[in-house]
This record gives sequence, structure tokens and C-alpha cells, in this order.
Amino acid sequence: MRKALGVWTALVLAVLYLPIAVMVVYSFNAAEQVVVWKGFTLDWYRKAFENRAARDAFVQTISIALGSTLLATLVGTSAAVASVRLSFPGKRAFNALVSMPISIPDVLMGLSLFVFFGAIGIGLGRATVILAHATFSAAYVAIVVAARLQGLDRSMELAAQDLGATPFGAFLKVTLPALAPAIAAGAILAFTLSLDDVVITYFTSGPRVTTLPIYLYSRVRFKFTPEINALSTLMLAASVLLVVTSLKLQKPPVGGDKR
Amino acid sequence: MGPGRRGGRGVRPASAEQERRDPARASAGYRLAALWPPLAWMLAFVAAPTLIIAAYSFFTRDDLGRPAPAFVLDAWRSALSRDHLALFWRSAWVAAVSTALCLAIAYPVAYFIAGGGRWKNALLALVVLPFWTNFLARTTAMQMILVRVLGPEFHSPAAVIAGLVYSYLPFMVLPLYVSIEKVPKRLLEAAADLGASPARSFWSVTVPLTAPGIAAGCVLVFIPCFGAFVTPALLGSPREQLLGTQIAVAYRANVPVASALSMTMMAAVLVLLAIYYRVKKTDGIV
Repeated sequence: MRKALGVWTALVLAVLYLPIAVMVVYSFNAAEQVVVWKGFTLDWYRKAFENRAARDAFVQTISIALGSTLLATLVGTSAAVASVRLSFPGKRAFNALVSMPISIPDVLMGLSLFVFFGAIGIGLGRATVILAHATFSAAYVAIVVAARLQGLDRSMELAAQDLGATPFGAFLKVTLPALAPAIAAGAILAFTLSLDDVVITYFTSGPRVTTLPIYLYSRVRFKFTPEINALSTLMLAASVLLVVTSLKLQKPPVGGDKR
Repeated sequence: MGPGRRGGRGVRPASAEQERRDPARASAGYRLAALWPPLAWMLAFVAAPTLIIAAYSFFTRDDLGRPAPAFVLDAWRSALSRDHLALFWRSAWVAAVSTALCLAIAYPVAYFIAGGGRWKNALLALVVLPFWTNFLARTTAMQMILVRVLGPEFHSPAAVIAGLVYSYLPFMVLPLYVSIEKVPKRLLEAAADLGASPARSFWSVTVPLTAPGIAAGCVLVFIPCFGAFVTPALLGSPREQLLGTQIAVAYRANVPVASALSMTMMAAVLVLLAIYYRVKKTDGIV
């Protein structure tokens, strides 16, 4: 029985990774068509790097990711501190509000922000994408930081207060350094999420801003080329690298539970 | 949570002295720094936008097609029309089938991983990792496999369901794993001692005890499947829209109708989230 379960698990994992593996392999395929193998080449990567539109999109993506990560880290960390350390009326509603961006479908988040920016008269562009990304990323940062904060021993911070530190001072000098790895993990996660997002960017970017995922999305819909494999492989590699770093910074090491 | 634990978070009893020094009570500055910025942010960018689409669903449109303040039911009539309700139910159906498949595929996987062994953490990480990686790239990879296997005419509801299962399987494995791991071994031993076959003790002991995990996993998978946009746009047939793709099409042309459609989606999602929080029995942020 256990053996059968093991075989099933191996099979499921194989199916999970097979498409990714095929995509990576075919990004090095010399053939024009995606379905036949004609030998190894780096041409598609060269093409991707020479592609002006992809390069512009890449620059946009990075600047949006940096801006939204900074905001998301500040907002998410303070939300985690408020949720774990403070007692205040309406805390349940506060927690629900903070985690709402990740519990509702992206389409709802995207549309509501699109309508919201229109209603208050902010033109869509890089700033609106940064604000939108920061909002959903902050929820993830809050979860990662709150998990760490809950595991921290409170006695050090209280001892610092006994020795004359103000509560906020004790937090800054004692708790914040202990939280640093979790904050870094959350920030990396926020950066990755911003780098990968399609749906919310689709609604909030307007015609002038194109991120790499949006660029890819529009091209995939139009026609599938090996260059798309190369670009997808690069994005995949970036997100794997970032996420593994983030998970390593979170403790316990398999920081899987994202809720 | 037992009544004895309500006093404080830590192991130390909450003495009057400690209460006095609790930052929540002692420092307005602390509160100012930690509570107000995220609260203001979330009110501005989550609560207000949600309320605004609720309001816009009653708006009308001016001559240029822009939303104009009014209180009319036109958008709602459209959102609840036969065609749009068909989209709602088609989305619910696609999400339900995807969720059921995820459950059937994930339960044995979670059961195996929870069974222990040296590779437990590694296996769990392998299952979870794809979820955190680029969603579009994974869907594109799936698309490529479908082209190879089925040819260029692969677009179908079945392809959408395959893509959704592929994307959201980790959401199912994690809560199942957590709840299966908590099932006490001695209950299974007791069932065996009393003569239950392994199958019987699985259905009478393990499954009921892991019901919260099953419910949580189903909600976590159903919601994103129900609101899916990228997967059906890339893998589905253009003739068969889902609610998510319809909102993405309608939003430029007709904001009130897109808003009303979103409210129908939101209503379904909130019902499911209420179930989720009830099952999870926590109101914490984690």
C-alpha cells in the first residue's frame, strides 16, 4: 500500500515538473517550430536579449518590483506587528482585510483597483501598478512576518523595557533585529510576486506600461515561438532562485504554509 | 481554544504589571506606527475599491460609455441575465471539477508525505515550489505540452481544467498534509485492534478526522479556479468564456456591468471564505 502511494506521489511530481522541463529543454531547440527537435542552440536567448520591447518591459518590471517591494515590506511588516502584538477592537476585521488581497481572485482585485483609480482620477501607469502590487504583496509579507513574530519569545523585549527602554524603543532594538530574516524573506517574496503578476497588472497598467509578463501574455496569445520559451525559462529561473532564497530565510525551512 | 488560554499569548501569566507594560496599552506611539499605516493602506486600496465597485454596479453610462453616477438596476439586470448566469454556473462547474480532481490526486500524495520517511521535507518542498514560481511560464509550458499532445486545436474546457489542476494542486496538498499529520496513530491502531480493515479504518477514522483539511483545501482551490482568468484565456476556447474572462473583456467597454459581474463573483467567494474561516477556527493573520 505504502509503495503504491509512493509510486503515485512520484508520478504526480513527475507530471508537475514535466511541462517545465520540456519548456526549458525546448528553449534550447534549434527548430523554428516548437514541436520538433533539431539540436542545441542559444539563438532564442540571444533573440530575447536583442528584443527591444522585451528589454523595455524588463526594465519596467524591475522598477515596479522594487517600488512595490519597498512599500509592501513597510505595510506588511507593520500589519504583522499590529496583528500579533497589539490588542485593539476590530482585530478580526483587520486581519481579514489584510489577507483579503490573497483570498479573493486576482480578477476582483484587479477590476476593483481599476475602477477605484478611475473614480479618484489617477491615470493608469507605473504608479498605479506599484500601488496595486504593493497591496497584494503586503498581505504575503504580513503572513511571513507574523509567523515569525508569533514564534518569538516576548521576554527579551519586556526585559529591555524593564531596563528603561520605551515599548517602541524595545521593539526597534530587540524584536526588529530578530525579525530581520523574516522581513527579508517577505521582501523577496513580494519582489517575486510583483515580477510574476499578470492579472492585476493587466487591469492597472493602462496602455503605456508593459511589464515582462504582460508582454509575454500578449505574445503567447498571438503566436507561440521558441523565443517565448526562452523568456519564460528566464522568468521561471528568476522566481525559483528568489523563492528558494526566501524559503531558506524563513524558519522552519519548509515554509510552505502560505496562510 | 480553551477558556484557560484566553488571558495572554505567552506562557507567562498576564499579570497586572505586564498588562500595564503591554505596548498595546502603554504606548500610543507604538500603535501609531504599527496599526495606522497598514490600516489606512488596506482601507484605501482594498476596502474602498470593493465599495466603489459595489456602487458602480448601480451606475449608468454616459454618451461616451463612461460610468456615470445614478441608481439604476441595468447592470444588475445584465449580470443576472440568462447568458451571464450561464457563465457563473459554467465557472462554478469548471472550478468544482478542478477541485474534485485536485482532491483525488492530492489526498494520496499528502497521505504518503505525512507518513514520514527521510524525504518528508524535501517532498513537501517539491510539491510547493511550483506554486511560487512564475504562473504565466507554467501555464505557457502546459500550453506547449497540450499543443504537442493534442495539436493546435487543443482549446477546450478539459484543457482549462487540466491547467487549473496543474496550477493549484499545491493549495490542496498543503492543508491535507497538515490535517493528515495530526491524525493520532493510536486511533488507527485501536481501529485495527477492534478488527477494522485498513480500508475501513481509513474511511471511518482518517477521512472524518481530516475533514477540516479537506474543506480548507477545497475552498483554497475552488476560489482561484472560479475566478480564473489567465488559464481559460490561454487554454480555453474563445467561444466558451468563464466569469473571470468575461469580466476582463467587459471592464473597458462597460464598467457597471463588469462591476455587477464582480459582485456576483465576490458573493460566492465570501460565502466560501466564511466556510473556510469557520473550519480553520482561527482569526489570526497566519
